[in-house]
Parts: sequence; structure tokens; C-alpha cells
Amino acid sequence: MNHRHLLPNEIDLLVDGEVGFGVAPLLAHVRECDACRLEVEDGRQIASVLEELPRFAPSYGLADRVMAQVPVFVPWHVAARDAVMEWVPASKPFRALALAGGSALAALLTMATLWVITRGELVSMVTVAAGDRVRSAFSIGLREVLASVFGEQVFTAIAQPGIPLLAVAGAGFVVAAALAVLGLRAAAAAGRRRA
Amino acid sequence: MRPALDLANLPDADVVALAQQGRDLAYRELVHRYERPVFSLVYRMVRDRELAEDLTQDTFVKVLSHIDRYRPEFKFSSWLFKIANNVAIDHLRRRSLDTVSMDGSPHAGTIEAVEASSFDVAVPQENALDELEARELGGAIERAIASLRPEYRSCILLRHVEDRSYEEIAVTLDLPLGTVKTYIHRARHELRKALEPLRE
Repeated sequence: MNHRHLLPNEIDLLVDGEVGFGVAPLLAHVRECDACRLEVEDGRQIASVLEELPRFAPSYGLADRVMAQVPVFVPWHVAARDAVMEWVPASKPFRALALAGGSALAALLTMATLWVITRGELVSMVTVAAGDRVRSAFSIGLREVLASVFGEQVFTAIAQPGIPLLAVAGAGFVVAAALAVLGLRAAAAAGRRRA
Repeated sequence: MRPALDLANLPDADVVALAQQGRDLAYRELVHRYERPVFSLVYRMVRDRELAEDLTQDTFVKVLSHIDRYRPEFKFSSWLFKIANNVAIDHLRRRSLDTVSMDGSPHAGTIEAVEASSFDVAVPQENALDELEARELGGAIERAIASLRPEYRSCILLRHVEDRSYEEIAVTLDLPLGTVKTYIHRARHELRKALEPLRE
């Protein structure tokens, strides 16, 4: 018989029901030593009583109370995915149909894009033509505005010498407007002082 | 349209992942799954039902508000118990309530309040005598647990009530493995001493 009593950690190994290579000699010792056997049995009894302790329940509605204080954050990628998923039909046949339609549309757009890219001269020609149309529409609109504000003669007088006179006239207009604003402000300030 | 998820059958890690995606139901599932274990641990730590309710709520609010910080290499329950234990220990340190009687809340001002806040450890039994014995033993063990140091109490409750391994307890309580083993051994020893008169 081994006369060394079991150490606390050896007792705990047996109480916890460990089964390993080193446990067999401990069990053999316990079979022969009353003091160690009693200690192991006591430990097991305590463990068993603890394991039978009930779990307590909190009052009803804990989840609601917790959720009232927890900010639920939805990441942008999840929100985006959800938004897309809202448009996906629930039934399988419709989903397949939507997938087929979407794929066909995507293929069509891709082909159109590729066709346009491979025809560079056509793109530039269309761009130039569109630019000309926009420019001409703008100048006609501007001419009509100026003619209606200042009269046809003034417009012709400004337009004949060309851009330099137009620039001088524009600058004069800006200076006159600024002076008018300053004059009005000075008059208003003088009025306030009098009041 | 999103299909309804059967959250009850999903492992913790998957439910947490859904919560991290902002799914309200996943948050609720986590609360539902762990409200009893967490409340039981906190209740046995602070010995006051009302206070335990508040601290349990605080625990879940803390955990769920920072669910994005959860790292899946750890068990969710370990993280949750760690927060619950910290909340309870912090409270005990603040209020020095580590050895309060289980017979009612220390804040209770009337007999009714004491009764309302006292422990009920009854479990279903076959007859009245069994129930009486169970209540007596249950009451004694609860009293014995209440008399333990808070650190021992956390360890022994996690080990035997929550069935956690020594390694998990060490991770949960941020303690060295050897310290956990020592605490559990001492806790068992103290419980044995406390229950000796009842067994004689």
C-alpha cells in the first residue's frame, strides 16, 4: 500500500471524474485508504449537490427591456443587400424569370457598350454634333435675351466689334452694379444713423 | 423578401454573426438563450433579486451594444459570463455585499419586501418530506455558497452550475489556470465544512 495520502489536486482529479493514464494509481490508492476515499466521496457529494442547483429565471420581458437600450446597428453592406433582396421575388419560378431577364438586360447593355467603344470615330462624330447643337442653342437663346433687354440695335452694335467690346461692356456692367450696391448700402446706413 | 430564420437551432457563433448584421431577432435569441444562466450567476453573486435583474440587464446591454467587438475565436458564452461576473464583482466591491444573507434583500424595508426578495430554491419532489429536505439542503448550500469569497463563488458556480471546464473558467475570469484550480479546491473544501453539520 502506498502510504502517501493524495494531494489536493489529485483529489480534485478524482472528484472531477478525470480518466487518464495517471488516474489509475490514484484510484488504486483510494480503494485502500479510508481517509482519501472519504475525502473523494465528500468532494463528489458536494459537486453533485451543486450540479443539482436550480437556475433562476428573471422576470418576464428581459429581452424587451434590454432591446430598449441597445442600439441595433445595420452595416451599410447589409442594408444594401437587404434593399436588393426586397426586389427579388419569393417564388422560385419568378426568381428564375427575374434572373433570366436581368441577365439578358445586362448582356444587351454590355454588348451595346462594347459596340460603342469599338467605334471611336462614330463616338467623336456624335459628340461633336451634339456639342454644336448645344452651342448654337445657347447662343440663340443668349441673343434673344440680350435683344429683348437692350434692343436689337444695341445688340448689333455690341456684336459687330466682337469679343473685346463685349468684354469691356461686361466689365463696365459689373463695375456699375458694384457701385450701385455700395451706394445703396451707404444710403441705408445713413438712413439708420438718422433714425 | 428574406426567408424566416430558425434561430433556435443555430449555434451561438451563427446567431452572433446575424446580430452583427443588425438582425434584431438574433439579439433577442441571445438574450433568450442566456437569460437564465446569467441571471442565476448574478443572483447567486449579489443575493438580491431586484439588483440581480438590473445587473443582468446591464450585462446584456453591455454585451449586445458591443457585439461588433466579439471575436469568434472565443466562446460567446465565456465572453458573456466574463462581463456578467465583472458586473457582479464590481457591484460587490462598491457595496461590500459579499456575505449578505440569502434570506432576503438587504435593501428590503418591510417583511413583505424581505419575502419578495428571498430565495426560493424549491425543486419538484415526490413528497412533502423530500421537498422539505431538498429545501433544507438547498437553503444550506445556497447559504454556504453565499459565505464564500466572491472569487471562489464565481469559480465554483461556473464549474458546477454552468458545467464549464477549468480552462474556460480561466479564460472567462481572466485568471491563471492554477489559480482557478486552487479556488475551486478551496471552495469545495469550505462548502464541505459548511455542510458538515447537516450531514451528521
